[in-house]
Amino acid sequence: MSRYNVSFAAAVLFVAVHVRAAGVNDCRTLKRHGQTREAAACFERLTRAPDSLSRAEGYFGLGHYDVANDEFRMALKEQPKSAEVRYEWGLLYLNHYQPGDAAKLFEEALELDPNYARAYLELARIAGLSYDKKALDLAQEALNHDPKLYEAHELLAYLALEDSDEERAKAEAQKALAISNEALDGMAVLASIDWLGGKTQSEWMDRILKINPVYGEAYATGAHFFTINRRYELAVEYGRKALELAPDLWQVRSDLGLNLMRLGRTEEARKELQDCFEAHWRDAQTTNALKFLDTLGQYQTFQTGTTELMLNKSEASLLRPYIEPELEKAVATYERKYKMKLPGKVRLEVYPNHDDFVVRTLGLPGQGGLLGVTFGTVVAMDSPSARPPGDFNWASTMWHELSHVYILTATNHLVPRWFTEGLSVHEEGVRDAAWGDRMTPEIVSALKNKKLLPVADLDRGFVRPQYPTQVLVSYFEAGKVCDYIAQKWGDDAILGMVHSYAGRKTTAEAIQDNLHESIDEFNRDFQAWLDQQTADTVRHFDDWKRSIANAKKAASIEEQIQQQTAIRDQYRTYVGPNSPYESLAELYASKGDKAEALKELEQYRNLGGTYVKALKDLARLEQETGSVKEAEHTLTELNYIYPEDEEAHRMFGRLLLDSGDATQAVREFSAVLALKPSDVAESHYDLAKALDAAHRTNEAKDQVLLALEAAPGFKPAQQLLLKLSQ
Amino acid sequence: MKVLCLLFALASVLPGANYYVTIAGLGGSPDYDTQFAKWASELEHELKANGPEAQVITLSGNAATRQKVQETLANLAAEVKPGDAFALFLIGHGSYDGTDYKFNLPGPDISASELAAMLNRIPARRQLVVNMTSCSGGSLAALAKKDRIVIAATKSGTEKNATVFARYWIDALKDPSADTDKNGTVSALEAYLYAQRKTAAYFESEKLLATEHSIISDNGSANGVRDPKPENGAGILAAAFPVIRPESESAKSASPEKQRLLAKKEDLEAKIDRLKYQKAAMPEDEYKQQLTALLLELARTQAEIDR
Repeated sequence: MSRYNVSFAAAVLFVAVHVRAAGVNDCRTLKRHGQTREAAACFERLTRAPDSLSRAEGYFGLGHYDVANDEFRMALKEQPKSAEVRYEWGLLYLNHYQPGDAAKLFEEALELDPNYARAYLELARIAGLSYDKKALDLAQEALNHDPKLYEAHELLAYLALEDSDEERAKAEAQKALAISNEALDGMAVLASIDWLGGKTQSEWMDRILKINPVYGEAYATGAHFFTINRRYELAVEYGRKALELAPDLWQVRSDLGLNLMRLGRTEEARKELQDCFEAHWRDAQTTNALKFLDTLGQYQTFQTGTTELMLNKSEASLLRPYIEPELEKAVATYERKYKMKLPGKVRLEVYPNHDDFVVRTLGLPGQGGLLGVTFGTVVAMDSPSARPPGDFNWASTMWHELSHVYILTATNHLVPRWFTEGLSVHEEGVRDAAWGDRMTPEIVSALKNKKLLPVADLDRGFVRPQYPTQVLVSYFEAGKVCDYIAQKWGDDAILGMVHSYAGRKTTAEAIQDNLHESIDEFNRDFQAWLDQQTADTVRHFDDWKRSIANAKKAASIEEQIQQQTAIRDQYRTYVGPNSPYESLAELYASKGDKAEALKELEQYRNLGGTYVKALKDLARLEQETGSVKEAEHTLTELNYIYPEDEEAHRMFGRLLLDSGDATQAVREFSAVLALKPSDVAESHYDLAKALDAAHRTNEAKDQVLLALEAAPGFKPAQQLLLKLSQ
Repeated sequence: MKVLCLLFALASVLPGANYYVTIAGLGGSPDYDTQFAKWASELEHELKANGPEAQVITLSGNAATRQKVQETLANLAAEVKPGDAFALFLIGHGSYDGTDYKFNLPGPDISASELAAMLNRIPARRQLVVNMTSCSGGSLAALAKKDRIVIAATKSGTEKNATVFARYWIDALKDPSADTDKNGTVSALEAYLYAQRKTAAYFESEKLLATEHSIISDNGSANGVRDPKPENGAGILAAAFPVIRPESESAKSASPEKQRLLAKKEDLEAKIDRLKYQKAAMPEDEYKQQLTALLLELARTQAEIDR
């Protein structure tokens, strides 16, 4: 190419870029003002532009993502060093539910132009999608490079409201409006604050509609905040309003489908999601939700007067006899305690496939390691079979979620996240002292490093954690706050706070009204109370870590016992993996000291240890030493942790039968059969014996026939058959 | 399993002596040496429950050399009769280089094909080989043969971690629940299924990735299966091979009256098996009625035998 040609080409490109920029901005302005038809015509014109980037913008504006993508690719070939092409292409990906690809392009744009403020802004938006705290820093970075970038203030307002910081959200939104009086998203945040506060009309929405009469995104913003505040009915209502104005907001429609699914309105959900799919909006959320809805045929629902229990057919016969009575017990307990009745039945859905459960709960903040989720009066949770044995306590999780059902209902979903979570953790511990949140090493570390949040800021620990384990620490802290209130002021004070939240009081007001002290006094006293409980462990934490690291296999059993005892005493509540209680029990057992082994394992159980083998060993030891009631207690705990253990059910059934509790023995032997045991004959025979003891002769006879059908020569079963046939 | 029951009924009356050889190989560390020797000793103890006629031979520790193994199997090749049952149990570590499996012994190892050649010289028509070592799946192709049951603790030669299958195989021989048809005998199939289940449960309860997946071949196939069943033609021979048979109701020494009752019992058991075959084609009530009648009669007959 000649020098002349190069200059000419550069000039053409310069003109094209400026014409394009003007063109696409015109189109976007039309769109921003709700002039949909004119905007479409404008984008249409761009598709006929001479340069690829303009054509790409045109197709993007029209929603023709594939063609736009091809044009962007071509544009990048034409302008390989262009940060702008990468930025605009990134917007396409971000709009097309591919934030990972978008982020790469924004980062490339920043490599080429480190001052590209909008690239920082979009990276902030992407970080915000996963509630990453980096979103705040990136948005601020965008403003550092362009203080007039009002969209960055809009995003900061949005993020602040996600953190329940209304004042900061308002301030940021006002900053956006000070720069542009058409800051629609800033106004949407302000309108959302009004809606969250109970106003059905907002002057901000009126202002938005004057600028853009079809700005459904504003209602969608409201729907988002209702969703993260667990007010799903309102989220659905605002999602529908958004779609009335702008039916092609596919992400909003998909979110609506998800919220409908959460509320158990599966057919409505299916329709919305199907519409998205047919419109080629096939993001992971939509396709996974549709696939999930297709699996609902594998489930069976059981009704009682107050409950609906949905179980997978493959495990219904095993789990129902345990979950249903526990569910009814929880309902009765909370009815009494919170002095209220729910508007309808509680629905508990139990998923044996963790992925199904995750799809059911997709989109919630802080969902890592999630075990159960409450949507109004619907609770979804993992089945014990969805997790490795000993990983979680299904009953504890169920009580936790049921507490949410009551508190969310009682407060009309106006309760702050920290309080409902804290109360749920507290209720777990009330139901069984071995349940609730344990003081894990992560929590001890947070205590040691003074990382607990003041109560007024505790919500932030759940929504936008500042360090990896902060959600876990916040659960613990919130639980302890509620323990403290219950211990010092009693359950009525808790109930009073619930009512205060229902009356739209802040945490400071709720504390003042019910505990009669300021939030600062409360914080101070609570910290002192918590320190008193935890100081010893915190003080020895470094010693404990050193002891663990330096622990060697000592020469003799006695030395090993000494070593493990020291480790145990440095951190007595530690019952996590390789706890000293297990080691000590094994060491004592190896030298034949059953009494000491038993003592260690009982402490382990009482502190909430969940290792299945340790609990089975304990039950055996208790049985061997004649502590039948204790063995029954251990096996009951084991059923809450790992109801899939055939051997444990068999052991429990025999204990119960021996101690004359035939009814419960029937439940245990039925569980053995539900687990499809290898020893079918023995299992039917055990059940037959229990049924016989429970005077259910005909059922006993059926079971003994099944035993003998499998093993006709099984003498004890033959004898029972003769007895039952007399 | 209905087919299996009938075949077992035939096998259970076959005459002949039983030979059991257990070899515990090289541990490579004191812990494993102790563990393997302990398992071998426990297995020997359980096998002796088969009565004084059972020949139980155990080679363990430094006694389990290649030469000693060769001598032992060569001696048995001369002693065992075609009507006898022969079982070989291998405990320890194995290795697999992609072609050959080797059983690790003090001194030179022994390969699967060498073992197969030695076993082929033993005239017993009913043979059981339970290779409970790491990589044991790699030995199956060489050892598999018509009328020989081969069980391996791992599905291939590439599962190289030390195995726990042996622990549960031994448990199967002492846990009454392994005898799923409650006939007083633990067959190779019952022991296999028990050990397989317990091994899987072990890995699950310990939250460990399962590093061994046992397989069985008893139809001459060089490819073992994990789940023997009539549909895949596996398990029939294993169901008819008793590993533990502590009880025996020998008709030879019984009185004429008892002989009559034993014959009646066998007849009833055969009728029950036939009825179970017809279950799918019968109305449920009718099946239950007939089954109840037969089972009651069998129970009464057994009570008379035991009286």
